[in-house]
Amino acid sequence: MNPEDETGLKLAFKEIEDIEERDDASLDLLKKRLLGVAIVVLFFFVIIILRLWTLQITDGPEYEKRSYGNRVRIRQIAAPRGHILDRNGREIVTNRPSFDVLLIQEDSNDIGDVLKRLSPVLGVDINDLWTKVREAAGNPRYMPVRLKEDIDWQTLAYLENHNREFSGIRIEVQPVRVYHYEDLAANTIGYLGAISKKELDESDKSIYSGEDIIGKKGIERLREKDLRGKKGQSYSEVDAKGFEQKQLEKVEPLSGKEIRLTLDVDLQQIAESYMAAGEKSGAVVVMEVNTGRLLVAVSAPSIRIKEFIGGISQEQWKALLDNPKHPLINKVVQATYPPGSTYKMVTALTGLAKGAIDENTGVFCPGSYTFGNRTYKCWRHSGHGAVSLNRAIGESCDVYFYQVGQRVGVDALSEYAMKLGLGAKTGVEMEYEKEGLAPTKKWKLKNRKAKWQDGETLSVAIGQGYNLVSPLQVCVMTSALANGGKVYRPKLVEQVVDLEGTIVENFAPELVSQLPGMEKYFKLIRKGMEEVVQGKAGTARNVAIEGLRIAGKTGTAQVVRLAQYRGLKESAIPYEVRDHAWFTCYAPADNPEIAVTVLVEHGLHGGSGAGPIARAILNQYFHGKLDVKATGKVEPVIIDQDDGTIE
Amino acid sequence: MIRIDRRLIEHFDVILLLLIFLVCIMAFFNLYSASFPPRVSGLPPYVKQAYFFLMAFGAFLFVISFDYQKLHSWNYPVYVTVIILLILAETIGNTAGGAQRWINLGFFKLQPSEPAKLMLIITLASYFSRKELTEGYSIKDLIVPIVLTAIPFVLILLQPDLGTAMMLGIIFVSMAMFVRLKMSTYIVMGSLALGLGIFAWEKVLRPYQKQRIWTFLDPEQDPMGHGYQVLQSKIAVGSGGKFGKGYMEGTQGHLHFLPERHTDFAFSVWGEEWGFAGSAIFIGTYFLLILWGLYVAMYAKDRFGVLLAFGVVALIFWQAAINLCMVLGFLPVVGIPLPLFSYGGSSLMTTMIGLGILMNVRMRRFPNSLSKD
Repeated sequence: MNPEDETGLKLAFKEIEDIEERDDASLDLLKKRLLGVAIVVLFFFVIIILRLWTLQITDGPEYEKRSYGNRVRIRQIAAPRGHILDRNGREIVTNRPSFDVLLIQEDSNDIGDVLKRLSPVLGVDINDLWTKVREAAGNPRYMPVRLKEDIDWQTLAYLENHNREFSGIRIEVQPVRVYHYEDLAANTIGYLGAISKKELDESDKSIYSGEDIIGKKGIERLREKDLRGKKGQSYSEVDAKGFEQKQLEKVEPLSGKEIRLTLDVDLQQIAESYMAAGEKSGAVVVMEVNTGRLLVAVSAPSIRIKEFIGGISQEQWKALLDNPKHPLINKVVQATYPPGSTYKMVTALTGLAKGAIDENTGVFCPGSYTFGNRTYKCWRHSGHGAVSLNRAIGESCDVYFYQVGQRVGVDALSEYAMKLGLGAKTGVEMEYEKEGLAPTKKWKLKNRKAKWQDGETLSVAIGQGYNLVSPLQVCVMTSALANGGKVYRPKLVEQVVDLEGTIVENFAPELVSQLPGMEKYFKLIRKGMEEVVQGKAGTARNVAIEGLRIAGKTGTAQVVRLAQYRGLKESAIPYEVRDHAWFTCYAPADNPEIAVTVLVEHGLHGGSGAGPIARAILNQYFHGKLDVKATGKVEPVIIDQDDGTIE
Repeated sequence: MIRIDRRLIEHFDVILLLLIFLVCIMAFFNLYSASFPPRVSGLPPYVKQAYFFLMAFGAFLFVISFDYQKLHSWNYPVYVTVIILLILAETIGNTAGGAQRWINLGFFKLQPSEPAKLMLIITLASYFSRKELTEGYSIKDLIVPIVLTAIPFVLILLQPDLGTAMMLGIIFVSMAMFVRLKMSTYIVMGSLALGLGIFAWEKVLRPYQKQRIWTFLDPEQDPMGHGYQVLQSKIAVGSGGKFGKGYMEGTQGHLHFLPERHTDFAFSVWGEEWGFAGSAIFIGTYFLLILWGLYVAMYAKDRFGVLLAFGVVALIFWQAAINLCMVLGFLPVVGIPLPLFSYGGSSLMTTMIGLGILMNVRMRRFPNSLSKD
């Protein structure tokens, strides 16, 4: 069937034998347009011929010169990465040059021979060299193959003097990182590594290529853009034997921006050495109460940067993953724990704000509290007697807070916990931050498919229920209590300075939320917190420093119910089921400057397990100010237990 | 039932076949030089290319054996098959260079984006020939062909194969402009394309895909990769001078290394070894083939034939124009091969089948030459 028939054209189609031209207007029109098409084609033909004329006849001799045994080599020059300093300008991470040996296959007249002679010079097995060359088989032959990194001076001198013997071999200078304080703040600062295929695919190809070293973790990764700088290029001519003839042009690399952190090396070192001394695992956070600057961020045990330089082996990686102390996890934000008694300030604030208690509310503590058909114990089995709010915080009386919790209910507790920065990400520049949890009735229905039990509110009120907090959140909460309800976003970067010395980013406090009109409640809570350290019966009396008023709170987070271990000596309880120890504080009490939060995993008690570390930090920070003397050493004092036990 | 009609043999176009053979022979010699000395294990590229050519020529003979009018009725099954293949390539294809483009048939890696080009030509030719409007097409008349183009276009864009997707777009635009559009259509289409482009840029494209487009627009950003190749290509062609360095005498070593994408630079080897004289001869032959294709369209017996011939010519012409501009340093590297000349089975197969369609139209240019079985 001819398609023309269906279209119902004006002209009927007549079947006559072999008509050369069909009398068809529309077809003719279409064919006329072919002339226009031919003109376009011819236009391109002329353009291409003219271009060939220009390239081959006009500029031919010049191109011929360039190709006569010469080829242009474009080489990337790595940019020095920006330095990382502490708040006082002390260098934590800088660079030094590393000399690498590269092979450009295309330039080498006999790869086998060159590798054979190079092997003893580099001290690398010939098979290993071949393996490296084979691995690069998929790349164009002008791409360099890195044979050995960071050669020593003797090798470098030898290769430089005998360079005519090794065709296609080139020495490249690469900046590599130097860590002046070894693993200081390693989990925060992070490390570098070779760019992975996936990262390369998703990156900007004009900036990254397959050989690059990029930030893999921590500030190094998060601030990659600031730190990386801009590569340079050198264009040089290479003759047929693969030796560079002359440099045509060079674009110098631009080094990355310098980052000045808010961290303080001295304080960080003290915190880290205290954690390391007892092989403790956990976290230490120090924050400026009125700005949100982080002066210390310790996650113990720390990763060892050395293990990550030049890529980490599978076995090493697995060992780190399986390590029960989890060095890969940045416990400042990535680990969450029950807050224990440090939560009692939240309970107190909720009680005051909701009018369930006031400063004169007294509760009698006989050592336990019966609710429903269960008995909830106070950690001091002999009881605290009549307690006011001040004493309840100071001596961490569980019974008092059971009752407050019972009066306000769990949803109110959650509301005020959130207002103090718990149960939500703080927004700090650290990776994989966890939200933690401030439980509500709704949450339980949704996630546990069960109704909230009133008894559970009692556990939440003393920080032993479903609540989960990160050490950083506790530090933010402590700061908020100290500064009158302002929640600041914790920050790690003080300044970013570009290579001209211009400050491109400067620290500014960032207020996340605040609780107005509660100053009188905060005052009451703060007084109780002073009692903890300064009071005769405070749970952290041993933290006290002469000449400095400190306010704080101890806490114990249960790992498991300790019933089966009750009555055992502490040393007899297996490490992995021992309680976590919290201590959080701020100082000076009357005009707070910094908040210090310490969490020691399986450290048993806040006062003895975590307190001394906080004390050492406060001592370092304040000595020389406020008549505080440097002690240098802290005697741990074994003090009262403090745990809310539920039976 | 295929009855061999005496007139088919009479109308066989020897000149067309001769031009095809000329280009292929040049391509073969050039490839022999370009892939020398052999580096990779297995069959050298020129041997593989010879096998590819035999297969492609078989396909060519098959295509000229039936009347092209049949393509009207085969159009939709072919369309659906290609779309299914594209989806299959997306899901089970082997990853080549990070993109899903292949279906491995053992002896042959099928790249469904290649037949997609031909399928689109047949589809659009069939549509425009059945729907005839002398006074020009309005935007409403174009909705169907736009949708038919958009489906494979999007699938190929997702692979992501920007080069081939761009070719589909170019085929559509060429054919639509050829059949004549109303002025209003141009305006609507233009703004539609602009709007879609902005939408895709803002909402659909991933950052690295945007980066590819940026690099494409500004190759200076990537001096080690594409910029380098273009520079080397210019040096190669330029250093050929008047009469070239002679066969097998090219020194631009990096072109001897032939991973998939370097095949696009086949012409720079030719330019270096044969100089301006040889390049002019090659370009002349090549453009003669293209113009001859237009001549075939000129004498086709019906609208469908004209459109088919035009589509095939457009496909070959635009790829050649883009590839040559790239090799001569006008355009950034886009990964579009020079039809018949670059190494690669899929492209050769597509081109030869296309040329088979052209020959088919040529052989059946007289009415009554068995339009019905």
